[in-house]
Amino acid sequence: MRITLAVNGTRCTFDAHPGETLLELLRREGYVGVKKGCGAGDCGACTVLLDGRAVNSCLVLAGKADGSDVLTIEGLSQGGALHPLQEAFLDEGAVQCGYCTPGMILAALDLLTHHPDPSEEEVREGISGNLCRCTGYTKELRAIQVAAAKMREARHG
Amino acid sequence: MGLPGVKEFVRPETLDQALELLRQHGERAWLIGGGIDLVLFVPEDAQVVVDLGRLPLCYVQEKAGGFVIGATTPLREVLEDRSLEGYMAGVVPQMLHQVASPLLRNLATMGGTLVSANPWSDVITLFLALGAQVVLSDGKAQMIPLEKLYPARAHRGTILTEVHLPAPAAGSAAGFWKFGRTAFDVALLNAACLVRMAGGRCVEARLVLGGRPGLGTRVPLAEKALVGSDLGDATIDRAAEVARESADVRDDRRASGDWRRELVRVGVKKVLHEARGRLPGGER
Amino acid sequence: MAEEKRPVFVVVGKNERKVDGVALVTGRPKFAGDLDLPGTLCVKILHSPHAHARITDIDTAEAEALPGVACVLTHKNTPATRYTTAGQGYPEPSPYDARMFDTKVRFVGDRVAAVAAESEEIALQAMKRIRVRYEELPRVLSVDAALEPGAPVIHDEKDSSGIYDAAKNTAADVDIDVGDMAQGFAESDVIVETVCETQYAQHTPIEPHVVQTSLDEDGRLVIRSSTQVPFHARRIVARVLGVPLHQIRVIKPRIGGGFGVKQEVLLEDLAALVTLRTGRPARIVFSRQEEFIASRTRHPMRIRVKLGARTDGLLHAVEMEVLSNTGAYGAHGLTVLSNVGSKTLPIYNKAKNVRFFGKAVYTNLPVAGAYRGYGATQGCFALETAMDELACGLDIDPVALRRRNAIRVNESSPIFQKLGEGREGVEQTVKSCGLERCMEVGAQRIGWESKRGKRSRDGSRVRGVGMSIHMQGSGIPQIDMAAATLKMNEDGSFNLLIGATDLGTGSDTILAQIAAEVLGVPVSKMIVTSSDTDVTPFDTGAYASSTTYVSGKAVERAALAVRGQIVHVAAAMLAADGGTLDEDRLVLKNERVVAPNGRAVTLAEVCQRAMYQTGQFQIGATASFVPDESPPPFMASFAEVEVDTETGLVQVVKYVAAVDCGVAINPKMAEGQVEGAIANGIGFALTEEMLFSSKGRVRNPTLFDYKILGARDVPPIEVILVPSYEPTGPVGAKSIAEIGINGPIPTIANAIYDAVGIRLTKTPFTPERVQAALRARHPG
Repeated sequence: MRITLAVNGTRCTFDAHPGETLLELLRREGYVGVKKGCGAGDCGACTVLLDGRAVNSCLVLAGKADGSDVLTIEGLSQGGALHPLQEAFLDEGAVQCGYCTPGMILAALDLLTHHPDPSEEEVREGISGNLCRCTGYTKELRAIQVAAAKMREARHG
Repeated sequence: MGLPGVKEFVRPETLDQALELLRQHGERAWLIGGGIDLVLFVPEDAQVVVDLGRLPLCYVQEKAGGFVIGATTPLREVLEDRSLEGYMAGVVPQMLHQVASPLLRNLATMGGTLVSANPWSDVITLFLALGAQVVLSDGKAQMIPLEKLYPARAHRGTILTEVHLPAPAAGSAAGFWKFGRTAFDVALLNAACLVRMAGGRCVEARLVLGGRPGLGTRVPLAEKALVGSDLGDATIDRAAEVARESADVRDDRRASGDWRRELVRVGVKKVLHEARGRLPGGER
Repeated sequence: MAEEKRPVFVVVGKNERKVDGVALVTGRPKFAGDLDLPGTLCVKILHSPHAHARITDIDTAEAEALPGVACVLTHKNTPATRYTTAGQGYPEPSPYDARMFDTKVRFVGDRVAAVAAESEEIALQAMKRIRVRYEELPRVLSVDAALEPGAPVIHDEKDSSGIYDAAKNTAADVDIDVGDMAQGFAESDVIVETVCETQYAQHTPIEPHVVQTSLDEDGRLVIRSSTQVPFHARRIVARVLGVPLHQIRVIKPRIGGGFGVKQEVLLEDLAALVTLRTGRPARIVFSRQEEFIASRTRHPMRIRVKLGARTDGLLHAVEMEVLSNTGAYGAHGLTVLSNVGSKTLPIYNKAKNVRFFGKAVYTNLPVAGAYRGYGATQGCFALETAMDELACGLDIDPVALRRRNAIRVNESSPIFQKLGEGREGVEQTVKSCGLERCMEVGAQRIGWESKRGKRSRDGSRVRGVGMSIHMQGSGIPQIDMAAATLKMNEDGSFNLLIGATDLGTGSDTILAQIAAEVLGVPVSKMIVTSSDTDVTPFDTGAYASSTTYVSGKAVERAALAVRGQIVHVAAAMLAADGGTLDEDRLVLKNERVVAPNGRAVTLAEVCQRAMYQTGQFQIGATASFVPDESPPPFMASFAEVEVDTETGLVQVVKYVAAVDCGVAINPKMAEGQVEGAIANGIGFALTEEMLFSSKGRVRNPTLFDYKILGARDVPPIEVILVPSYEPTGPVGAKSIAEIGINGPIPTIANAIYDAVGIRLTKTPFTPERVQAALRARHPG
């Protein structure tokens, strides 16, 4: 089937198998920042934003993305400048192996877009679907708060 | 690849179109809301996937003191609905905060959740306790109590379009509890209740246990122990004990039946105390 | 080294951004599974459905006939060479008991056949067409069953080697002692004995195993693998496939987590053989299920510790007995077993009588391998539980008991020499030890004095605090070797070529920091290439906590050699006409070479002169390092827990780890290592458990049912880096990667005891187990 969706702001038309998942489609089309960790919605490594909302792309049938906007990690840095979340993850030491990082950052982006001033509990819940085995989440939680503050500042500054 | 057996993926825009597709493809058609359970369990007969996501069934509306939730509403939207926060002291968002993850809640729909009937479903356990009703349509719409939806196969050929939460009766309150292995987990056991008091006496009690590992079901003997009582500590303890003894709990790979039985007592006590604390007059 | 004499660092000790950080946060194709080569075959493995069986017939004709199938491999058409999959130095201290495809299967998940096809769908269809006939054999699913007289022999083949006693299913056996045990216990005032058991657990790196193989333009085999041991992989693949080593190149890209599960040559042989047979690229990606079933796990163990002490708590006799379940194959069996003692017992060096003995036993269960902590994790559970029991029995504060007995600077332990990695160890004296301060700071940060014994209650929930102390090692002395090459570029930058394997640990970054420190440049001027067997010099790989200490020292040496060349060239440039300059007085800083009189030349100028102008030569050096010792990092671990007596749920309220890793080269990264290790250890203590059916099948091979900690579960973790200075280490550093994971089990167990007075000796401490223990104490 042919589907048309905007990936990272660019309209694309793809040939997809009706039973294919969005994860498979995206990786096949070169968006390898979208990772496969389990294929079952348990780990969140495959997180992308679908119409602004973070989802496990391994569970989304490709056809569901027809006509939608998809944001992958590749689309986050505008013209080379890193997003505050990316900067904060780097500065806070929240990136170890980096495999969960794209998914985690996008889940955090969904959270901060809709809850710009989250409590610690809200941040924990916001990334509760993104498993990480390297960091123990400690620095990731902090990085998200640091980014949130920067993003609030940019909004009001 | 995800589902090699799927031959077609269609997205009807109206309920009539969706029903026509069901008629046309019969057993080969598979309805999805978010599609999560389809991708996870890959049923062999799912050859034509009918995505209901474009139907105008995404809403949470107040209606005569109760609420109507459209079948394609993502769970996240239900969770974040401001007016639903005021319903039964916020028991619905309280429950939804413990369901899966935000990623899954963005994709899973209310209709899909109710029809998939995963036995650990927290939504089903609570909604059974609240006395929810669902609207099924095969061209004609029909409203039935949620418990009559199961087994869902019995209603093949119809489409669930809405779930109705009844207007809270005076003197009623609800509670919900879930026990998992970690925070992001399905319930090893969940419990929900709705109690209604009149003149200092309990006149109605609905107590539901789910994840047993079976689907949410009422615990009539425990409910009986509550009705007519003052819902005091001793009564709650007794009801919890009756529930513990009579509940149908079994082993599965997540927990043993014996362990679940212990949890029954804890869960029933918790939800009853929580509901009692929400009654006008507060915790006694 | 005295505090005043310690060097002041410019780059070391700074929280530099990871050199690969930007690539990782922007999703650049850096992982083994991100490279797409045209014509890549998908390889799938047919796994054994039986725990123990002979393959009496295997017919692949139908599978091979399927269009799109490139080749099908079985024991009939693959090398019969016996080897070990363990990524260890040669000769590997693990039995050569594995074959690519054997005529026998020894666990549910063992290799039966493999299919290489145009697509995953075709490969899976072809697998269904492979006809296998099995003769099921009686299975052994526990160490006790395996050791029973007359038990089925799992490794009855004639051509394996290095197995301690195959007829008794014993892969390895260790027995060492110091002093006189009988006398030691007889002389003790008090004796404490405990038996602890740990479960099957899995590493669950978020990236599964992935290998991509291809032939380059010269027909050489290129293996791109998510591996912790590229050089061992090259050697082992060469040997198993009978391919000359120089025809193989192994490249490690970014790895999405390893924790030991990738210290194994698990899939490289298979993908390589497909490429060699077909001439086409091949890729194997493990599913999450395969990660659980067919990769590697922790060694489940039963450990008995017996302590004899004086009434003032001074240890006099220590006995540790281990039964380790190594699963169906013996990779890492001997060395993990040895580490149970070698990385725990030396910390209590005052005991004059010590015995450590045990066995690693085969079972028809998933294969255990290397896992962060490597035996020390299990050993600490038993040892620190026994110490806690001793403290409680003698009514001595647990912290005070550790203080009385713990090793100090300038002290040694006979265990260092008696127990190495599967052989004799190496004598050493501790030259840096911040353990005392770790205990002090940790106790203070958790609120030990105010909380211990208080059992504060909130409804059904009771709180308690517990602690434990730990050591690990920094590399394998006299065995591990690392090397580094530095070459200079004419803009004053350097290429740093290191065999060392960054598995997300950030070793590329900290090794760059060491080199940058020596050469007086920012990290941005260090271009790191790592883990490519064609380009980078040798390194044993990422294990045994060796990278910072061993690879770091090699880098330091190479940098010092290059520094010497630079100052030599600079001296000629800076000398007043016709004169000479004392090279020893030249200083490298801010990308310049500075003379005592203030005159300076830039590094770029130095290199341009050496590259183009006069006495030209390539400024560069290769240096190696083999450590003489393995200086332990130390840790004091504290936790406050809350036990819900109604449900048995144990939650960690706060976790404090005070760690001495010498000089922390990148403090945030060092903290991150400990935080991650602690989170993993808490899962090991409370929620993680592989469950088996009566037929030996893993019942929960998914992240859905094997529960690791998520963001809502992890407690506040406070890591305090207690600085010390290791004189034998690069810039004073020791290791940090493993030690953190050893803390949670004993710390939490001891805190549970403080809270509710029950002694839990079997992990994980699930609510069900805790509840059962509470009910056993208070029936009714």
